[in-house]
Amino acid sequence: MDLSFLTVQVLSALRQAAFLFLISSGLTLIFGVLNILNFAHGALYMLGAYFVYALTLHLTGPAGFLIAILAAPLGVALIATVIETGLLRRIYMQEEIYQLLLTYALVLIIDDLAKIVFGPEFKSIPKPEMLSGSVTLFGGTVPVYTLLVVVLAPAVALLLWYLLYKTKTGKVVRATSSDREMADALGINMSALFTLVFAFGAVLAGLGGALAGPVRTVFPGVGTEVIIESFVVVVIGGLGNLWGALVGSILIGSLETIGIIVFPEFEMALIYLLMVAVLVVRPWGLFGRPLKIKALSEKNLAMEAQEISPVHFTVHPAVRWAPLLLLLLVPLFAGRFYQYLLTQIFVASLMAIAFNLLLGTTGLLSFGQAAFFGVGAYTVGLLLTKAGFGTLPALVLSPVVAAAVAGIIGFFCVRLSGVHFAMLTLAFGQLIFAVVFKWYGFTGGDNGIQGIRVNPIPFGGMGALDLGSTQAMYYFVLVVVGLSVELLRRIRSSPFGATLKAIRENSQRASFLGVNIKLYQWTVFVVAGAFTGLAGGLYALMEKSISPEIIHWSKSAEPVFMTIIGGIYTFAGPAVGAVVYVILNSYLVAWTEKWALVLGLVLLTLVLLLPGGVVGYVNEKARQTLGKLRCIHKWPFSKSATS
Amino acid sequence: MAILEVRNIVKSFGGLRALQDVTLSVEKGEIRAVIGPNGAGKSTLFNVMTGLLAPDSGNVVFDGEQIIGMPPHRIIRKGIGRSFQITNIFPRMSVFENVQVALFSHHGKSRNPLHLARKFTEIGEETIAILEQVGLAGKYDMSASILSHGDQKRLEIAISLASRPKLLMLDEPTAGMSRFESRETVSLLQRISREQGLTLIFTEHDMDIVFAISEKIMVLQQGAVIADGTPAEIKANPEVRKAYLGEEITES
Amino acid sequence: MAFLDLNSINTYYGRSHILFDVSLSIEKGEVVSLIGRNGAGKSTTFRSIIGLTPPQTGEVIFKGERISGLRAFRICRKGVGFVPEDRRCFPDLTVRDNLEVAARREKEVDSPWTVDRIYALFPRLQEREKNLGSQLSGGEQQMLTIARTLMTNPEVLLLDEPSEGLAPLIVSLLADMILRIRKEGVTVLLAEQNLHFCAKVSDRAFVIDKGSVKFAGTMKELLANDEIKEKYLAV
Ligand SMILES: Nc1ncnc2c1ncn2[C@@H]1O[C@H](COP(=O)(O)OP(=O)(O)OP(=O)(O)O)[C@@H](O)[C@H]1O
Ligand SMILES: Nc1ncnc2c1ncn2[C@@H]1O[C@H](COP(=O)(O)OP(=O)(O)OP(=O)(O)O)[C@@H](O)[C@H]1O
Ligand SMILES: [Mg+2]
Ligand SMILES: [Mg+2]
Repeated sequence: MDLSFLTVQVLSALRQAAFLFLISSGLTLIFGVLNILNFAHGALYMLGAYFVYALTLHLTGPAGFLIAILAAPLGVALIATVIETGLLRRIYMQEEIYQLLLTYALVLIIDDLAKIVFGPEFKSIPKPEMLSGSVTLFGGTVPVYTLLVVVLAPAVALLLWYLLYKTKTGKVVRATSSDREMADALGINMSALFTLVFAFGAVLAGLGGALAGPVRTVFPGVGTEVIIESFVVVVIGGLGNLWGALVGSILIGSLETIGIIVFPEFEMALIYLLMVAVLVVRPWGLFGRPLKIKALSEKNLAMEAQEISPVHFTVHPAVRWAPLLLLLLVPLFAGRFYQYLLTQIFVASLMAIAFNLLLGTTGLLSFGQAAFFGVGAYTVGLLLTKAGFGTLPALVLSPVVAAAVAGIIGFFCVRLSGVHFAMLTLAFGQLIFAVVFKWYGFTGGDNGIQGIRVNPIPFGGMGALDLGSTQAMYYFVLVVVGLSVELLRRIRSSPFGATLKAIRENSQRASFLGVNIKLYQWTVFVVAGAFTGLAGGLYALMEKSISPEIIHWSKSAEPVFMTIIGGIYTFAGPAVGAVVYVILNSYLVAWTEKWALVLGLVLLTLVLLLPGGVVGYVNEKARQTLGKLRCIHKWPFSKSATS
Repeated sequence: MAILEVRNIVKSFGGLRALQDVTLSVEKGEIRAVIGPNGAGKSTLFNVMTGLLAPDSGNVVFDGEQIIGMPPHRIIRKGIGRSFQITNIFPRMSVFENVQVALFSHHGKSRNPLHLARKFTEIGEETIAILEQVGLAGKYDMSASILSHGDQKRLEIAISLASRPKLLMLDEPTAGMSRFESRETVSLLQRISREQGLTLIFTEHDMDIVFAISEKIMVLQQGAVIADGTPAEIKANPEVRKAYLGEEITES
Repeated sequence: MAFLDLNSINTYYGRSHILFDVSLSIEKGEVVSLIGRNGAGKSTTFRSIIGLTPPQTGEVIFKGERISGLRAFRICRKGVGFVPEDRRCFPDLTVRDNLEVAARREKEVDSPWTVDRIYALFPRLQEREKNLGSQLSGGEQQMLTIARTLMTNPEVLLLDEPSEGLAPLIVSLLADMILRIRKEGVTVLLAEQNLHFCAKVSDRAFVIDKGSVKFAGTMKELLANDEIKEKYLAV
């Protein structure tokens, strides 16, 4: 290895780091102030690149290029301002997860719009002559453009540091993030401040995109790749910390460069491995501090009305049994397509309800549920195709194996909370994805497992249950999911569930009740993992073929969508959300190419109009009526209070 | 017999010596006040005794057992309850649930995942009884987050009582309560202490209350114990007066 | 017209009606106490004035100008300072930064508050200058919250239970401070449980119960009125 090679590689790593830093510094700034993990940040990056592309079509020469590079971020800032004032501002009082979802919906929308405006193909942006040359440094040939980028990024870092830590506005910005109401009462104009910060963060993303455009290509969806990388950067560095973003960028930039040379196969897995390693050793990232606890009055108190607490209310049994009865009768009048669709919904519901035991009941946002779903599915797939297991034993093992995996992952994850928890589960999930994806010998790699044979389930000599038909599968899945959901409902309404809720509300206080909170969180993580694994096992049985896609993080996002559509603080919400999501998904894909756009718009509308989800909305608006109709019954604990 | 022995606790935050060699011994059934200027180290002492902070050195022995180094939930299980100076409740749970969940933990039911929480009628009645004691029964189904500040303080005490501790540590229990409520709270605490032999350690800046109910008073200043004795001794101690009470107290 | 006027305001949290036709009228340079049991509506009254929970009907008039309906930060910039009851200092900022971010309206008053003046008032804060807000003791946080609002140089100061958690010596410092700023023309509205404290600093008092005003008069009248005292103040 000689010096020239080293120079070239170091500079290429630094260039990578510079791009990452431009994006992630904006991301971390927005998180630090607005408490929003902005999923749309990657889309803003993409827009920056597209704007440069569009501008350079008309403006030529070095001057035109320069103007384009400077104007593009401003264009992005304009769009960001519209997003902030028109959409985000309405939901600051909601839980963080709604903001996450809103920005995710924006990703879907912006990506599809970009496809419509700029076309689906890859675009490359020509550099002007002046910048496309290269210089020789320590014997290596280095493009001028790389040098430009490598110099520019630290300059931006310095500027940011100055603005944030040395100006009064910077202090105000940092103050505001921890207690918005008090900042307001002290005369700080927060709306203006938030818009400013969001737009400023967007400028950084846009600048990143504008600078990266000429060296990378740009295409719809490029933002998604970038955003996940930036998440890793800011989480490793410490959320909300500028230096963290810098160090994280350099780490990831170098790792990617080394990874491409040394282990080209495992480049992505390496990054997640690093993230897991860092978070296991330093749970809040290299420079991070534990997340601040939001002031009480900042929490969305309206949510209260959406949660029908199982301690205070009982649901009339008919409300529970009627849908079940209806579902039992469906095959009498609905065709195979509908039965299949419903079976999909059952599986999705189980996954979503199990997920919501974590999110809604315990307050843990897991972004790696697809891993347990996948482990369950692969357990069934492998046991049936390779080990010659019977259908039932394989299915029974799927939650067991998933629980075991959840036990290991949970051991590390429950030491964290909030976004950090979400990110660590995401990293573990992606690691499992990478393993399954690459391990051809065992899992079939990206081919997955095809042709899973579902043998009839024997009944000790009294015949057998043949799951060959859609209808038989329908009933089988209905029964398994029905029993599991009943079990989950019990858990939520039990003293254990009440304790989980206490942990959600105030974990420190809960530990002063004598509750070992980490143990409880771990337990519920394992339970949720087990049921998710069972859902995966059922999925393998009904689809008869599986592929690693079911472990990808985008699958983990599904239960999040479903839960939010239906209502976080409700038991039935996730199931209702599953109905909406599965139906939307299967019809939209058939109906329009722009399904992402439509899905994005639907999510956006739901988040803005029904912030408590469909069921939450019903609970809030119709609680009185529900009581009168005897659908819900209030439990009279106190004679003195109820009389 | 001393139920709690605190020996030579030292705790620093960076350069600040928040506790310097604090030693304290509390008899069973005693009502003990810990007073001192703001920032004297009272809350820090409570945090050390309940496992929220690890001391730099020193020992805490409760009921004959060394509890330093144990996590809070284990210390609580040994029979220590506490309340917090800055309200620390479960905001989006009803007043009832706040106390009920504490009772589940006390009765060892928290791990029960299969029975319905509301079917534990005895625990339900016990919850209401505790709420009646602190005067919150009428608000049992209100969300704790929307209680007024003083009501939240009362809920805080109700939660601490629900773990049925042998030793209760209250950090400014009546701060923020109106005179009605603080009078009732004080007599409730006295009654429980008398009837159930509960040992009580509390801090308070309201001298009327401190001198009315405590049997012994310890005074901290800048992390050091400057006096420890009966209310009469403390009142007469010139150093305490200068550091903490000011001159006004002479009349009352 | 008075300096600060509340004209029969009605305030709601969501659907629950908390304040019922509350009317208060306060002259410039007065110190007025708002007294009542827990949950009576004192804090809600303050939040209505500062605009954090704006009243649905009725109006708040400050210096002849209607301020109800304005956003909180605008009301603050007009000269209304609010000290909340639950010690809301910024946990991530140092003591000094907490004070500095709040500084405003220096030009509008004759002798503006500076960090040094604050330190002279509460020496304890100077000693803890480099601590973060979250690393202060309860009483230190309370001092910081009061001090921070002073930095906005208010003409009307709304103090919600300022003596809570403060040692007796500091409470009498606080009383002196109130009497001093009052001489400078600052108007103070005070919600307090500590009657000694109220009696020492305030001229007039309003007793509020279940969201409506039950008594209005001078402090002397209040202390002489046994019925009110027994019914609402437990003395
Ligand atoms: N995490 C921390 N880091 C640094 N200093 C701290 C930390 N926590 C507390 N302190 C300091 O330690 C000292 C003791 O604090 P403590 O909370 O014990 O006081 P206290 O006696 O309870 O006062 P108060 O009556 O105001 O509640 C204070 O000066 C405080 O600033
Ligand atoms: N967000 C809310 N939603 C509904 N009701 C609320 C809300 N916040 C407060 N309340 C109710 O409003 C009433 C008045 O509360 P407020 O905080 O003004 O009382 P207060 O006089 O300041 O009492 P304290 O002395 O305890 O601080 C209380 O009954 C309280 O329960
Ligand atoms: Mg304290
Ligand atoms: Mg109040």
